[in-house]
Amino acid sequence: MSEADAPRGWPSRYERPDVESVYLHLPFCERKCLYCDFPSWTTRAHDPLMAEYSHALESQLRAFAGLGLVGRARTAYLGGGTPSMLGPDTLAHLVGELLAQSPAIEELSFEANPESLDAGLCSAAREAGATRVSMGVQSLDDEELSRLGRIHSARRALEAAQDALSSGLALSCDLMCAIPAQTSQSWRASLSSLLELGVAHLSVYPLAIEKGTKLERGLAEADPAWNSDEVQARRMLEAEGLLAARGLSRYEVASYARPGHECLHNQSYWTGQPYLGLGTGASSMLTRTGYLLLRDVCPQLPPPRPECSRVRLTVTSSRRQMALDPAPSSLSFDLEFLDRRQQMSEDLMLSARLTRGIDARLLDCARGVLGEGRVEAALGELLARGLATPLPDGGLAPSERGWLLGNELYGRLWGLSPSSPEPLHVQGV
Amino acid sequence: MWGIRHLTRRGQPRQYSMLARKCANIIAMSTNDTSHIRNFSIVAHIDHGKSTISDRILELTHTVQERDLASQMLDSMDIERERGITIKSNAVRVSYTAKDGREYQFNLIDTPGHVDFTYEVSRSLAACEGAVLVVDATQGVEAQTVSNASLAMNANLDIVPAINKIDLPSAHPDEVKAEIEDELAIPAEDAVLVSGKTGEGIADLLEAIVYLISAPEGDPDAPLKALILDSYFDDYRGVVAMVRVFDGSIRRGQQLRMMALGDDFLCDGVGCKRPLETPLERLGVGEVGYVVTGLKDPSLVKTGDTITERDRPCDAPCPGYHEAKPMVFTGLFPIDNKQYENLRDALEKLQVNDPSLTWSPETSVALGFGFRVGFLGLLHMEVVKERLEREFDLDLIATSPSVNYHVFRTDGEMLEITSPQDLPDVTRIDHIEEPYLKAKVIVPPEFMGAVMQLAIEHRGVTKDMVYLTEKSVEMHFDIPLAELILDFFDQLKSRTKGYASLDYEFSDYRRSDLVKLDILLSSEVVDALSFIVHKDKAYSLARGLCDKLKEIIPRQQFEVPIQGAIGNKVISRSTVKAMRKDVLAKCYGGDISRKRKLLEKQKEGKKRMKSIGSVEVPQEAFLAVLKVDDE
Repeated sequence: MSEADAPRGWPSRYERPDVESVYLHLPFCERKCLYCDFPSWTTRAHDPLMAEYSHALESQLRAFAGLGLVGRARTAYLGGGTPSMLGPDTLAHLVGELLAQSPAIEELSFEANPESLDAGLCSAAREAGATRVSMGVQSLDDEELSRLGRIHSARRALEAAQDALSSGLALSCDLMCAIPAQTSQSWRASLSSLLELGVAHLSVYPLAIEKGTKLERGLAEADPAWNSDEVQARRMLEAEGLLAARGLSRYEVASYARPGHECLHNQSYWTGQPYLGLGTGASSMLTRTGYLLLRDVCPQLPPPRPECSRVRLTVTSSRRQMALDPAPSSLSFDLEFLDRRQQMSEDLMLSARLTRGIDARLLDCARGVLGEGRVEAALGELLARGLATPLPDGGLAPSERGWLLGNELYGRLWGLSPSSPEPLHVQGV
Repeated sequence: MWGIRHLTRRGQPRQYSMLARKCANIIAMSTNDTSHIRNFSIVAHIDHGKSTISDRILELTHTVQERDLASQMLDSMDIERERGITIKSNAVRVSYTAKDGREYQFNLIDTPGHVDFTYEVSRSLAACEGAVLVVDATQGVEAQTVSNASLAMNANLDIVPAINKIDLPSAHPDEVKAEIEDELAIPAEDAVLVSGKTGEGIADLLEAIVYLISAPEGDPDAPLKALILDSYFDDYRGVVAMVRVFDGSIRRGQQLRMMALGDDFLCDGVGCKRPLETPLERLGVGEVGYVVTGLKDPSLVKTGDTITERDRPCDAPCPGYHEAKPMVFTGLFPIDNKQYENLRDALEKLQVNDPSLTWSPETSVALGFGFRVGFLGLLHMEVVKERLEREFDLDLIATSPSVNYHVFRTDGEMLEITSPQDLPDVTRIDHIEEPYLKAKVIVPPEFMGAVMQLAIEHRGVTKDMVYLTEKSVEMHFDIPLAELILDFFDQLKSRTKGYASLDYEFSDYRRSDLVKLDILLSSEVVDALSFIVHKDKAYSLARGLCDKLKEIIPRQQFEVPIQGAIGNKVISRSTVKAMRKDVLAKCYGGDISRKRKLLEKQKEGKKRMKSIGSVEVPQEAFLAVLKVDDE
């Protein structure tokens, strides 16, 4: 697909061959939390597998850098799992390798849990070049923490937060609402304590009870009162009010920050920027051109379908397979080829998760790709149902109702594409 | 059930055809003598071993290879197999050489097993002289043993008790014999002890069938008199009728007549099922088999009708014929209105093998275009709806069942109404009459109170009751059909621990104080949810319906008030609260596909709902009246 036949207003990021962001997944945890359905496995603190796996990631990163995929990346994120479990040396080495391959990185975050984050790790990461740490605090009430299966105390979380801030890293914390034993008061207290420390970025989520998790299997009833949509709505509204009063404004459904402290990395997910994800369970999103580049070192990948304009890949190789054989040609993937309409409806949906909403230019392009009538009908319906409000420039942003009933909003926008991508599985060679 | 159970086995066509030819030769030699014929059913409580015993009989009489082929014949009956119910009657012929050295012709007649098909059962039993009553040696007499034995005794059949599963260590056949005598008043001293599993005693059972069940009687020279048990449609040959010959005989080329309906036809062939169709020269007196009618219209061949000769008709038809009239009417609407034509085609196709199905177009403000369909009962309705959805890939909404009401207008005109929507304005109605049934329940005495209570709750009037034995009472009621079709049968079974058997027939139309109950969603009447109900029950039903709908209708973006009303008067209400929050907060790189799948699933769920105004209503809401809990 050349730029000549691209639709009017087709953003240039949809055609760039390289990525804006790099994600590395570290699926190690000291213990799996009761609610977690992420790719992560319990690992001993000094398991050599962690270092082997980390070296495998580094070697894959070098291979992809050699293709010119990551050289201009502006953000990177080490997620998990619990990347802080790697320890200062392995973590610093990985950060160093990232910066070596992607020298333009401005924001480099790593995830941490309070039990494995201390002053030593923070300064090691900081010195290696990390700029930001995202810590899973979830609650500052010990009873609530233990009901979630968390292995740290509230006090440890506050100490770890202090360590991070003292080291000069930007700090973001995750907090969960609609959890067992939580009250409105304890929820406000958790939020306030972190603000008092000077945390400038917070992610707040209602707990999602996922099928097959220990939490779900241990429930006495299917829809516990503490997780009702009523409670979830109330807590999210409480957080919004409390945080706004303290100078943190919402910039995405679940993300709040002081001005200038928004997470760049996550924003590239939400604005249709290409990204490369490495490690077990990690996802990449590449343009068609980027995918063609990737095939140079991953011959197991099939050629893109003719109508394909975007590819999403998720690594399905296990962490042991990866550690044993890091060759890109050995990786297994789940794959989706998106055509322009699927890609466009996805980006509309992602933009609708942001405070700044869908801008007029993207909407214009969407009209061209998805059909003027279809798009207008959807916008009209969303406005009429009170899920969105118009922006002065002709764009669209979520309303208060749209924040709470986001699935209605997103579902309508996603549904603008007449089809969904078909999943493919590719086995490594 | 064995007619269904064996369907999945693999066929062996070659062996079959050789054997079939051999059998055909033997049968061709038969004469007008009926002393070698035994026509019987096997009846049992569920899981007491009816199927295994049937299988053993087929095996021992060397019908087994043919049985394996049956999967090719009846493959449309998935639903029967899954639900463990028999909907169609079936008759299979086996040959048995008894210890006296004679070759006997056994006709095993399989009967439907549900109250919706009571009439079909009665016709099948009318074709038999005897019944094998199977009782589990470890369980003894159970509910359906009693109800099935009663049906067989009422049909004056010779009963052969067989005590099954004697191979099990926990078998106690002597006690079971005593139970059969005490509870059913059937002599059981000579009950046959069998094991369907090991085959032990099956040979004795075959001998008992020869000696305990009467041979059919009839006049071979009299004009033909044959009872139709069931029929099925064949694309090439038209309607094929399963019959029992009482007098005379049938051959190919004979000019025949349907006595009740009056249509004439040329017999295009006769034969029996072994279990595949095996052509014969003729069907003689006392025999059971099929007749190829050549008729292309299935509605001309009715179960219970009598076939006779056109030019020499018999004096009187077989007793007991009445046209199986639809008892229950529901609206069937495609969720997607584009499927209307497909639904019409599908109904036409189903009707070919199910002539009891009737339908006419119906329009609903809420649901669009559909059909008003008449069924024999609710099970029949469920089966038909399921077949339409499965075999014809339709998504359907069924609306509340109704009966046929006689509405007398103030101007004296009488309207027959099967849908609440057709009810005229109250001011134009003088009075309404509804159909009543004569119902007969047979039950152990300890449940009499419970049954009377149930009858009262359903506006039934107890007429009388008779002790059949010390352990069973026959109770007679007059009861409105509308009450019986809802949950009466299920309630009867549950309140009597399954011991009650129910039989009913139409009685007459009686004047009743009936009203139309409307349901409003967000203040709009939803015509498809309206229901005709007795005035005394309107309040409790309205309350029950509002509560049930509140459970069924999912929370929506806005609050949905539900109201029950008679005319303009609201008599009950409930509210589906507005959905407060529905959003998956986490959506990073790896979550996007997952989130899309989640939303697609939500959307898929909505597809099976009907938008009424701005309210998304699930399919089952329209049958909520069947789920209202009894107080």
